[in-house]
Amino acid sequence: MSNRLNRRQSLKLLGAAVTAGLLPSVPLLSWPAFANLPKPDDSGILQKPFDNTGKTLPVIGMGTWRTFNVGSDPKLLDARAQVVKAFFELGGGLIDSSPMYGSAPDVMGYALQKLGQPDSLFSAEKVWSPAGGSAQEQVAELKSRWQVDRFNLVQIHNLTDWREHLAALQQMKAEGKIGHIGITTSHGRRHQELEQIMTAHDIDFIQLTYNITHREVEQRLLPLAQEKGIAVIANRPYDGGSLIKGLQRRNQPLPEWATTECGCRNWADFLLKFIVSHPAITCAIPATTQVVHMQENMAAGHGPMPTAEGRQRMQRYVAAL
Amino acid sequence: MSSGAGYQLQQFIPFSHDVYLRLLERIGETYWPWHLATLLLGVIVLLLALKHKARAGSLLLAPLWLVVGVAFFIRHYAELNWAGSYIGYAFIGEAVLLLCIALSGKGLAKTAPDKRPTVIIGLVLALTGLVGWPFIGLLSGDSWYQAAVFGIYADPTALTTLGLLLIMFRGGLLWLSIIIPLLWLVVSGLTWWVLLNS
Repeated sequence: MSNRLNRRQSLKLLGAAVTAGLLPSVPLLSWPAFANLPKPDDSGILQKPFDNTGKTLPVIGMGTWRTFNVGSDPKLLDARAQVVKAFFELGGGLIDSSPMYGSAPDVMGYALQKLGQPDSLFSAEKVWSPAGGSAQEQVAELKSRWQVDRFNLVQIHNLTDWREHLAALQQMKAEGKIGHIGITTSHGRRHQELEQIMTAHDIDFIQLTYNITHREVEQRLLPLAQEKGIAVIANRPYDGGSLIKGLQRRNQPLPEWATTECGCRNWADFLLKFIVSHPAITCAIPATTQVVHMQENMAAGHGPMPTAEGRQRMQRYVAAL
Repeated sequence: MSSGAGYQLQQFIPFSHDVYLRLLERIGETYWPWHLATLLLGVIVLLLALKHKARAGSLLLAPLWLVVGVAFFIRHYAELNWAGSYIGYAFIGEAVLLLCIALSGKGLAKTAPDKRPTVIIGLVLALTGLVGWPFIGLLSGDSWYQAAVFGIYADPTALTTLGLLLIMFRGGLLWLSIIIPLLWLVVSGLTWWVLLNS
């Protein structure tokens, strides 16, 4: 996909500029007319719409793969609860987990029980065939592990048995038992099949790997998601940690233009702002075990965001390293 | 190894290095001072193996595999990895196999251990698992009760058992009985490789 603005986006930006210039008393960008452009909430974190009802999600969510699988260790359970606390205090919303992630759903249950359930929580789970049982049974079990009444989003993990699970999830959504339906992939796998599902079926969310070094989805999946109004969750924003560790190990200072033009203060900002500034991406879900890293992640959700030109410059910079 | 293969492996290891170390530490704290008893049992089995008393050695070895299958895998490791219960059942299966061999007397070495390569390799592996393994932890700063010992932890149990089986068993039942210890050592080796490189 070209990174140049298309006609629709250009018109939106032009409209925003005119509105801002002629009507200084109204917000810079009216909402939701400029649906692809993020808007800050009370905490200052930018929000993007994820359906046609005007509901929005903070652009930074939280993943739990590996980081929240701590078993029943009281010390680690409390440490993860602190991470969740920081997430919500900083305006967080979407938390993503899976039955594949070991004890992560139980750890979320522990944290929510300890901290209370904030209104901003957008609980995202998955059904995953190897966990056993039907989609309904898995969702029921996961609800009791999270200690929530209902999931906002249930996704089909890595497209496993998606036909069977999709039918079950559609029925659960129609009955009001779950909020939205999604389907996930990672590491760039099975994109063709995902594209076919997005084209032929009614899906609310997709989750896929997108970061500054893995941009294959820009070609077909992200434009298709925009066209079909499907919200997109970007997983592996730091490529499993290797991307940010690699940049930090180089001891390379952040380029000045990244600070002045894109509002980046550190490499976390640089990598996350790149992702969430893509118009098709609803939110990124970095995972962490540390409060300080959570603070860095959430800070990346605040404006300003890179422009299309800024994003191209970011890509070129990282590619040249 | 390609990064693609690395990604595939990572999918089967849903916990981090720190969390796994903490799990091992908690297992050590939970079962202390049984470490001393299982270590002593291991030494006794090795002596029995060297004295050509394979049937008694196998009989003593079987319950330790049951203990590791239940206490290490099903009770603790399965908290972190959904595959933990299945591995636990495989360890219990190994316990049953060792018991069956001990009771039937089939597959046991007919002659006393000599200087054959399999016996020498078996002795080296058994000593490494029994003595060397706990010392790795002690040398890296763990306390005595945190030392990974035979009969409590999976790695030294599998390694020591592999060595003991090479000394005590012969023929097809030797090869059958080393499958589970060998497979676990491969899985564990790959797990540590991923944890240390991610």
